[in-house]
Amino acid sequence: MIVTTQKPLDEVLGFIAPYSNVLIAGCDGCTQPPRGLRESKTLSQLLELAGRLQNKGFNFKVTTVAKQCDNYLAASILKPQMDDVEAVLSLACGIGVQTLAEVFPEIPIFPAQNTHFMGAEEREAGILEERCAGCGDCLLAVTGGICPIARCSKGLLSGACGGSKDGKCELSADRDCAWCLIYEQLKKQNKLHLLKESRPPRDYQLSGWRVTT
Amino acid sequence: MNEQATQGIVAVRQNMDYCSSCAVCSTLCPYEALKKDAETGKITLDVTKCQVCGLCYANCPARVIDILYYDLDSLLAYLEKARQETASDTLIIMCRGSAPDIEGVAELFGTSSFIPLLVPCVGRIPDEVYLKALLMGINNINVLACDVDYCRFERGSTTTGRKIIALNLLLDQLGYGRDIITLKRHSLKVKVDANLCIACGNCVFFCPYDAAELKSPGGITFDLSACRGCGLCVAMCPAIALELENWEQERISQLINRFSLEVEPPKILVFRCQWASFPPLNGQPAPNVRFIDLPCASRIDRFHILEAFQKGVDGVMIAACSEDDCKQEKASGRAQHSVANLGERLGQIGFKERLHFCTVSPRYPEELDKELEQFSQRIKELGKGG
Repeated sequence: MIVTTQKPLDEVLGFIAPYSNVLIAGCDGCTQPPRGLRESKTLSQLLELAGRLQNKGFNFKVTTVAKQCDNYLAASILKPQMDDVEAVLSLACGIGVQTLAEVFPEIPIFPAQNTHFMGAEEREAGILEERCAGCGDCLLAVTGGICPIARCSKGLLSGACGGSKDGKCELSADRDCAWCLIYEQLKKQNKLHLLKESRPPRDYQLSGWRVTT
Repeated sequence: MNEQATQGIVAVRQNMDYCSSCAVCSTLCPYEALKKDAETGKITLDVTKCQVCGLCYANCPARVIDILYYDLDSLLAYLEKARQETASDTLIIMCRGSAPDIEGVAELFGTSSFIPLLVPCVGRIPDEVYLKALLMGINNINVLACDVDYCRFERGSTTTGRKIIALNLLLDQLGYGRDIITLKRHSLKVKVDANLCIACGNCVFFCPYDAAELKSPGGITFDLSACRGCGLCVAMCPAIALELENWEQERISQLINRFSLEVEPPKILVFRCQWASFPPLNGQPAPNVRFIDLPCASRIDRFHILEAFQKGVDGVMIAACSEDDCKQEKASGRAQHSVANLGERLGQIGFKERLHFCTVSPRYPEELDKELEQFSQRIKELGKGG
């Protein structure tokens, strides 16, 4: 999923302060839990309460889009709701916000979330960690399903550095050494020989900025 | 449980002078709070384990057990008063775990005129109540119990079933007819609006009973036989696609609206798990306090907390069971977490102090009062909210 967290409410309040009619657009897409209708409503309630303390009244409309990053979906759901809307507060990731900005160039679109990375959650602990760096040249087949680019602090490609200690990274005692995890995983699969095989240099152009479908 | 509480009033007591060690109570107790000591043969009560279901009270042949809530005297006083005030000769005894609101109960039994008696478990009603009710001229006694596997006190519903069979046999012999007391079983479960569901699978993670399943393709399905109606999935659903029967979002909103208008300032609204504290029969809350009972604290919906503040309520308190006492697989812990989460966000706009989560138990009746008193004091000092 894409991992986002709520921006501080006073920052969000600052964005929308000049406007009265604000559409809060949720996104049912990649985050877990999705910032959909419930989160849109919650945000509208919190902002209304905050606005009241500053003698500022808002007229919020709340809605949600299945995937805000899809410009066709965003346009078809939001266009009929845009009458009188002066600003949009988006609960999507940075991609969704930018898609709305393209679809509605005349209307200011503000992010209600900070977007962090592509990751997964250890749900009982409530900890979200990066899992994929979107490099365009997926290595997971030879690293036991553990990505060293996203999960090794240094993004190393050929094994642990000298800073790996007791399975932890030298940069943080909380952080697992990705190469230790890879080693343990390959050992379980009897595939340690993969670590000895040499690979051609990575094609960094693949990470690129544009691909065609 | 904290020491202070154990020194205060306790809801259940034994009067050992009358105890013949027959062990009916320890056999019935679902929580092993009452036990027969192997050496002395005496029955001992460990109050810290007691959940105040009242099964021991209703079934002790020697009336050894004293119970604070819904004891024989208060039940009979309630019936006398209700009999005078209501023209009906029909009594409906309802378990709060499975009883819908008054209109819903009327529909279930096909009668609009009846004397309602809502108790925390129908298993706690002593035989005398049924017999005295007949003496008062009540001719129909209906009992609404939980489905057997839905009973929050494990044995309350089965015990009631047996009790009613025995009473009906007795009453038949006395010439009252065979079916003077009728029993209905019921439960309140989740409802899905497939049009709103976005198939995110949050309910699958949160359901303590593995009742939710997400198939792709196929979407969400609930195994209603496994659902035990805590409402956690409803409160957590990002798409507002779930409802819990009798605790629909709209119904709770209406209560919040009504209470926010009638309550005196400083206005305090308490969302109370219906197993965490038992309101007295005929009891009235303080003029500045109103209670909304929830099936479990985990049904607490941040939407409703914020709505209360929007309607001018000055303080919102959530009274839950501790995780150990929770009748819903520790779902109250989830409630605590989500209230803390909302509290953090409310802190950003200066409302954090106006939200309070506490755990209480009916075994120490003063706990809720103390929490409420302290919270009221805090809200008074804070003054009027937004």
